[in-house]
This record gives sequence, structure tokens and C-alpha cells, in this order.
Amino acid sequence: MKRDTERKTTIEDLLRLKRAERPPAEFWATFEAEIRAKQLSAIVSRRPWWDGISRIFAVLNRHPVPVGAAAALALAGIGARYVAGNAETASVNRASVSEPVAAAAVAAPVARLVENAVAAPQETGFAAREAVPVQAPVVAVTESHITKAPATVAAESASRSPFGDGIGVTLSDFREPAPDTAQRAVFGSDREFEPASTPARMPQADPLAGLDPAAERRARLLAPALPAYASSGTRAVATDWMKARASSNERMYESMDQGPSDRMLVGFRF
Amino acid sequence: MNASKTLEKTLVASPERKLEADADLDIVRKVQVGDVAAFDRLILKYRERVLGIIYNMTSNREDASDLAQDAFIKAFQSIHRFQGQASFFTWLYRIAVNSTLSHLRKNRLRSFFSLESIREEDPVSREVIDALTDKTGAGRDAFVHELQEKLNDAMQKLSINHRTVVTLFEIDGLSHQEIAEIMECSVGTVRSRLHYAKQLLQAELQPYLLK
Repeated sequence: MKRDTERKTTIEDLLRLKRAERPPAEFWATFEAEIRAKQLSAIVSRRPWWDGISRIFAVLNRHPVPVGAAAALALAGIGARYVAGNAETASVNRASVSEPVAAAAVAAPVARLVENAVAAPQETGFAAREAVPVQAPVVAVTESHITKAPATVAAESASRSPFGDGIGVTLSDFREPAPDTAQRAVFGSDREFEPASTPARMPQADPLAGLDPAAERRARLLAPALPAYASSGTRAVATDWMKARASSNERMYESMDQGPSDRMLVGFRF
Repeated sequence: MNASKTLEKTLVASPERKLEADADLDIVRKVQVGDVAAFDRLILKYRERVLGIIYNMTSNREDASDLAQDAFIKAFQSIHRFQGQASFFTWLYRIAVNSTLSHLRKNRLRSFFSLESIREEDPVSREVIDALTDKTGAGRDAFVHELQEKLNDAMQKLSINHRTVVTLFEIDGLSHQEIAEIMECSVGTVRSRLHYAKQLLQAELQPYLLK
């Protein structure tokens, strides 16, 4: 080691030697080929999903003031809408809680609910249900949470909710008369399970209620013998026949009285 | 704050550096709009400096080559994020240094040196070697090799941050301000680390220092 030099060697001089540690020229050819291959693979390879987010943030970072102003405006708008919506909800709740609900006021939306509910199954083609007149909705006017609901909400829910349609189908089934097959004695009645105190139950429409069973039977039996019975005025004809029969009997008794006492003359006349 | 003012504040550099930064910014704008071939010019311009920094931090040429390539690829993939607030040179150095620091922390226990040979064509290195030894031929080569190993041993005894500061300041010739930008710390921290690192190196390399 050379110690007798006049120049002072420092740590900086020693570290400067490190600058002279350089790779040979052929190293750079390999380096260039490898970095080109990596660059191509970086271009071709699919970017991860968060890379798109980072690109968006990079764009936002380039224009911080406009983006910040727009974000502040959007937040202010959302906040104003939220506050306004809360105020409306609070006022509606206050009104519905403080004011008593009148039965008439409640009946209107509920009746509309029933009408809408009944109308829904009729549109589906149930002809039997169309023949049944709706006399009065079966509504229990109570102070339940349903009757306390606002009228607009009840009307909307009745017209739109599928739950309302289901209620309509149930109510129409409730009012529908029993089919003919179910009224026969063989099958019994399907209404036997129902309570007797069904409110506002519709009267059963009996198709034979307007007919007299005796007159019908008489007309059916006498029709072959008396052509007049084949007509529609069965009762009037039968009365005339009864009168004619009574007069012929009187005439017969009169003729019996007029003959000799030891014999009786009987005259038959048809 | 526009890019030129930022450059003036951070680089503390000569007008040549500023012109260089402006030229780099033009190339970067071309790459950002899709001119991929323009990035090759940046690679050619900075590959030796980037490789030198990484090599002096790792003391392993294979690792240095891989890390330098990765640094360029990362810069290429992220070039849309470059906004011109700092120079491209500073931005690229930051990527390279951070990648190297991450690599060194992962492989803290693995220390395998793979050194390049010192090229005596460089006048500064020749002068230093001439001052340290009067040997010629094989004896000189052995002395140079021994000195190189001692230097790398001393460097590897430094912590990662101290080694990085020494590499950037003493070997690559960056200013304190530039190092602070790259390492994302204050200038005072850079000066403190540099002072402490030099004291340690002086203690390790005392036999080679002439009085």
C-alpha cells in the first residue's frame, strides 16, 4: 500500500471507485432484450380491476378543485333532499298520530280496497262470480293500525299490492254461492263448517222459489188427459174443472131424489 | 403549483437539469398518449444510472439487473399517473429505490455479493488506485479486488436507509433535496443519515485512508 503519497485519500475518493464498477457492453444487449420482453408482456397482460380505479383517481387528482367543488355540491344536494324528506315524513306521522280517525274517513279507502280486490278476480274470467251482486263489503270498522294508515297510502296499496289481490280472491270466494253439485244431498253442503252468524251474508237465490210444487205435480199428471193443462195457466184450468165436477155431482143427487123410492137411478156422465 | 416551480424548488439543480427535465416531460407526454416506442428513449437515457444505484445498494449484479428492469416496467405501467409535479428522473428513481428497499427487506438475511469489475479507464478511479498502491500487474489487480470487497463489506454493514443515502449522494451525485424527494423524507434527515454513514464507513475503511 502506498503510504508516502502527498495527496490525502478520503472516504469520498474510495466511494468514487464504486462509480467505476460498470457492467460490460454485452450486458446491455441482454438487458434490452429482457426489458423488451417484459414490456410486451406488460402491454398484453390484463390489468387488474383496481388499476381502473387508480386511473380514475389519477384523473381526479389532476383537477382537484373542480372535482372537489362538484363533490361538495353533490353532497349539499343530497343533504338537502334528505332533510326535506325527513321533514315531510315527520309531519305526516305527526298528523296521523294526533288526529282521531273517523269511521267514515276510514271506510272510503277500505271500501275502495274491497272493490279493487273484488274486481281483480272478475277480470280473470270467473263468470259465476259476476252473477253475485256485491251488497256490502264485509268490513270490521275497528281502530286497528290498518285503519289508522293514511288514506292515500291505503288506496295505493289496495290498487297495486298483490296482497290486496289475494284478499279480493278470498272475499269473493267467501261470497260465492255453493255450486249445484255441492248442494246435492249426495255430497252434502260445503258451507256446513261455516259459522251461522256470518254477517251480511247474501240471501241464497232459490230458482224454484216461485213455483208451487202441488200445482206443478197436478199439471204434470193431468196434462195427458186434459189438454188445457198443457198450457201455462194450469191453476185456472184446474179450478174450472173442480167447479164443473161439483155441479155434475149436484145434478146427480137431484136426479136420485126425483126417482121411485125402491130403486135408485144413477146416471153416469163423463 | 405548476411543474416548473416544483422543479425549481426540488431539484436545486443546474439549468441543464431543468432542460433535461423538460425534455423528459415531452417524452412522457408522448408515452401517455400511446407512443410506446418513445419510452425506449427514456430507458436508454437512464438505464445505467438506475442500474448503478440498484447495484450499489444490493452489491449483486443479477439482482440489480432484475430490479432495474422491474423498475422500468413499473414506470411504464404507471406512467399515466405521472403528472409532472416532479421530474421524471426523480419519479423513476423513487420507483427504483422503493423496489430495491422492498427487495432488501424481504431478503435481509440473504447476502450474496456478485460484483462488477472496476474499470480503470475511468480517470477518477485510476487516480485513486494510483494513490493507494504502486503495484503493477497481478499485484495491482489483487489490491483493487481486495479494496472493492472491503468497500462492499463496509457498505453492506450500513443500514438500508444509510446505504441508500450514501449511494445517491456520493456515488450518483444527487443533491440533498433530490434525495429527500426520492426517499420521501426531510433534507435534515438526509444530511443526518449521510453524516452518520460516513462516520461508519470511515471507521471500517480506516486502513485505506491516507493521512
